[in-house]
Amino acid sequence: MFGLLEHIRTRLLRRRRRERVSLAALFRQFQQVLELNNRILTAIASMHDKLGGDYIFDVQYLRSSKQFIVDTVRELIDAFDAMAPGRYPGLYTAFRDIRHKLESELERRPVLPDVMAIPFADIRLRDMDAAGAKSTRLVMLAKASAGAVPPGFAVTTSAYRLFMELNDIEDEIVRLEDGWRNGGMTVQEASGKIRSRILAGSIPPRVRRAMGRELENLRRGAGEGGLRLAVRSSAWGEDGDLSFAGQYDSFLNVRPEDLHDAYRKVLASTYSPAAMEYRREYDFKPDEVFMAVSVQAMVEARTSGVVYSLSPVRRGVSGIEIAAAWGLGSPVVSGEVEVDRFLVGREPEHALLRRTVAHKPTALRPGPEGSVVTEDVDEPLRDAPSLSPEEVRLLADTAIRLEQYFKKPQDMEFAFDPSGALIVLQSRPLRIEAGDDPHSPALSEVLKEYPVLLSGEGDVAQQGVASGPVFVAWEGRDLEEFPVGAVLVAHLSSPQYAAVLPKASGVITDIGSPLGHMATIAREYRVPALLNASRATLVLKEGDVVTLDAEQKTVYQGLVRELRMHDFMSDRMEETYEYRLLRRMLKLIEPLYLVDPEENNFTPQGCRTMHDIARFIHEKAVEILTEIPTTAGASEACPGGRLELPVPMDLVVLDIGGGLTEECAGSEDGTPSRRRTVRPEQVRSKTLRAFIDGVTLEGVWQSHPVAVDFSSFMSSMTRTFSADSAGVKRMGQNLAVVSDRYLHLSLKLGYHFTLIDCYESEDDSRNSVQFRFAGGVTGAVRRSRRARFLSEVLKGFDFSVTVKDDLVVARAKGWMARDLNRLMRILGLLVAYTRQLDVSMVSDAVIFEHCQEFEHIAEEAVGN
Amino acid sequence: MTATSKTSILILDDEPIVSKRLQPALEKKGYEVESFYESARAMVRIRERSFDIVVTDLKMEGIDGMQFLAEVKKLSPRTEVIVITGFATMDTAKESMRKGVFDFLAKPFKLGEIQEVIRKAEEHIRLGKAGKE
Repeated sequence: MFGLLEHIRTRLLRRRRRERVSLAALFRQFQQVLELNNRILTAIASMHDKLGGDYIFDVQYLRSSKQFIVDTVRELIDAFDAMAPGRYPGLYTAFRDIRHKLESELERRPVLPDVMAIPFADIRLRDMDAAGAKSTRLVMLAKASAGAVPPGFAVTTSAYRLFMELNDIEDEIVRLEDGWRNGGMTVQEASGKIRSRILAGSIPPRVRRAMGRELENLRRGAGEGGLRLAVRSSAWGEDGDLSFAGQYDSFLNVRPEDLHDAYRKVLASTYSPAAMEYRREYDFKPDEVFMAVSVQAMVEARTSGVVYSLSPVRRGVSGIEIAAAWGLGSPVVSGEVEVDRFLVGREPEHALLRRTVAHKPTALRPGPEGSVVTEDVDEPLRDAPSLSPEEVRLLADTAIRLEQYFKKPQDMEFAFDPSGALIVLQSRPLRIEAGDDPHSPALSEVLKEYPVLLSGEGDVAQQGVASGPVFVAWEGRDLEEFPVGAVLVAHLSSPQYAAVLPKASGVITDIGSPLGHMATIAREYRVPALLNASRATLVLKEGDVVTLDAEQKTVYQGLVRELRMHDFMSDRMEETYEYRLLRRMLKLIEPLYLVDPEENNFTPQGCRTMHDIARFIHEKAVEILTEIPTTAGASEACPGGRLELPVPMDLVVLDIGGGLTEECAGSEDGTPSRRRTVRPEQVRSKTLRAFIDGVTLEGVWQSHPVAVDFSSFMSSMTRTFSADSAGVKRMGQNLAVVSDRYLHLSLKLGYHFTLIDCYESEDDSRNSVQFRFAGGVTGAVRRSRRARFLSEVLKGFDFSVTVKDDLVVARAKGWMARDLNRLMRILGLLVAYTRQLDVSMVSDAVIFEHCQEFEHIAEEAVGN
Repeated sequence: MTATSKTSILILDDEPIVSKRLQPALEKKGYEVESFYESARAMVRIRERSFDIVVTDLKMEGIDGMQFLAEVKKLSPRTEVIVITGFATMDTAKESMRKGVFDFLAKPFKLGEIQEVIRKAEEHIRLGKAGKE
């Protein structure tokens, strides 16, 4: 008995001793968490950079990058687990799951989302793997307001995989394909056998149910008239759809009850001889073949047709080619009948260059029971053009907008319904073959004729060719004015330009990094971007037409048509296996789903990417540190103290290494940190000092007059909860966690929370600062006005800002955060200035008054 | 000037991303480029004609890059060979240099870097030719 008590006593003692020791260790581990976190973010940015096209990489690079990320994240989890032993075992589970998926991708077993059907309305760009290229592109063009599209849904690639698995077809395919590749049988034989197996397959119950559900939704939307469907292939493989043009089958006017048959037929067309040959040519691996199917409500078509945004028939002539006929479009697409043809200019006025109106005695129309029938056209219409001049112009305009949006000439299928509304049925990149183009061989000679404005400088964030008029984003300029197709020229690559990038044909900045936020957005939209080009704003003049060749880091004066053609004809890096694989891997690494720590998904189980894990750990690691001053038994060993400030802010500083001078970093005297004091001059951290400078600037904190009603004023007075009051933990104490490189501030002032997280990197361009603000004492409207004020001010200092109700999240990274001290001083000013500001936010007009006033204060204090 | 005066380049890499990215960029610069994914086919081609510059990967299925560059040098000693590889070690670098390789680039590399190497190789060839005249 005695032995047992003694054992417990020793264990407890040892534990207490361990706690004492562990505080120093805790700080070290926290430093390590920060360091690893930074390393992971840099590695992610660097992988993303490879999508821009300036690098040539191979699968070995993908393997080693994956390994680096996996190892570093694992190290991060271990470092964090040492801070909070056993507290979040779910992190290991999430990590293993993501790692497993990454390995699957590299072993050529792509990770597909576990969903069988998605309505068009719910498809996002990231769903390309599930919905296939055709459906996703259709939805994207509708979202970019480039055209109306029919309602519909996508039966996913996972449904295809399930179909093949349950019907046990996969091994058969491998066997037959091998037979064909080894010369044992013709492609027709192999194709025929595979297709008959698929046609005889049964549709898995899960897929049937999902299709039935979406069909029901479509039926409800279709109203009284019977619903008919267009069932089309939507192959998997990023943008690879372009090359499969015409290789897969589509079925029109399908009755809902015949959907299953049409679905099987589309799946079977995955193994058409042409598609099999094509995949062999373009190095598609057997495991990359997944067919999603697009199911659209049929459009009642008065006229249908096809538009090529850049005529491939007459190379060298920039024209838009339109072919159209009465009724449904398949005869136009297949070239079976005589059609009306229009060639119009690509310039905005779209001058009619040529028009041939065909004799059209018949048209294809929806027939009974899901058939399509050839019907006679009314006599007067047979020789009339099937498109009006206005419709031709609208089509030309739409095609150019799609080309602009997708960055390649487009092959678009369309229909006009009886009311004259244009509906885009599909749009895919138009393949323009090089070869006999007379301009191509002499390109290097031709280029010598064009005056060069900039050359040899800059970093390529996204390669490609862009031409258009220059739009110089000088300070304070309204970005709403940005014209579609212009080339954005700016001094700094700021996140505030993200909003205009979908409209821009290219981007050139004096300063910027391909690892920054704007570069990421440029790659997302494939906007050719040359950053860090040093003299762009000096050399390039507003309104002048220029051509940017990002790949060669050259800007030419004028429109260099030959270069555009060369770019249009070039093989796309995006079509290669390695590029597709990198994109898929990044989906498991890069996106951030855990954004708000207050949301329910902010858990280890909610971590879907490596980035999520890093973010979760960073947030929770900071939380552990901020708990220290209020945790009994820990505070005595804590280096730091209460900061003496001329304003009543009650800020406790916790030094985790090198943030304070040595005399106050010691903890030997045993005084709890909140009872010790630290003078501002004892602060070594430059960023904390800058913040103090800002927050204590005379006149901003105390003497600023705010006309308020009495009760609001009382409530909004600076109020800090007593550190000892029960139930109030980290938010109760204004706290700064500081080291030589890191600063975390968590402040509660006047019922609102401010968090500032600031990391200074060895490499300036990796600096980061994050600001989060929420709460207040007044009603939702005034608080949201304060949020808008903050957003306006922070955007002015090149923060990337998101606002949700009264929550403001602002980030500055990379070059934008180069001068961290200046930004921290601004944030200090802002904290002081906004402390009781919601009370004064009585109208929208006040927002702008405060913006002006703050701008004035900031200018006085730090310059602008 | 006719097309024959262009500097000719052969690219061999079993990963298509390399030539898909390199070929149009080099053509734009005025080079004449042929690319291959399979070393056997490239081997057939170098027996048919000589190239000024060969860019080859090292690790490939079938005939590997080391054998290929040895064959290139045997058939046409004046051809400059540039090796690109994702498995860069000092040993492979040394061995390829010993075999007369003009330069060695580890993947991933920037387009500008290989263009610069190619430009230097071209200059080397030009000076070599000038020296013989």
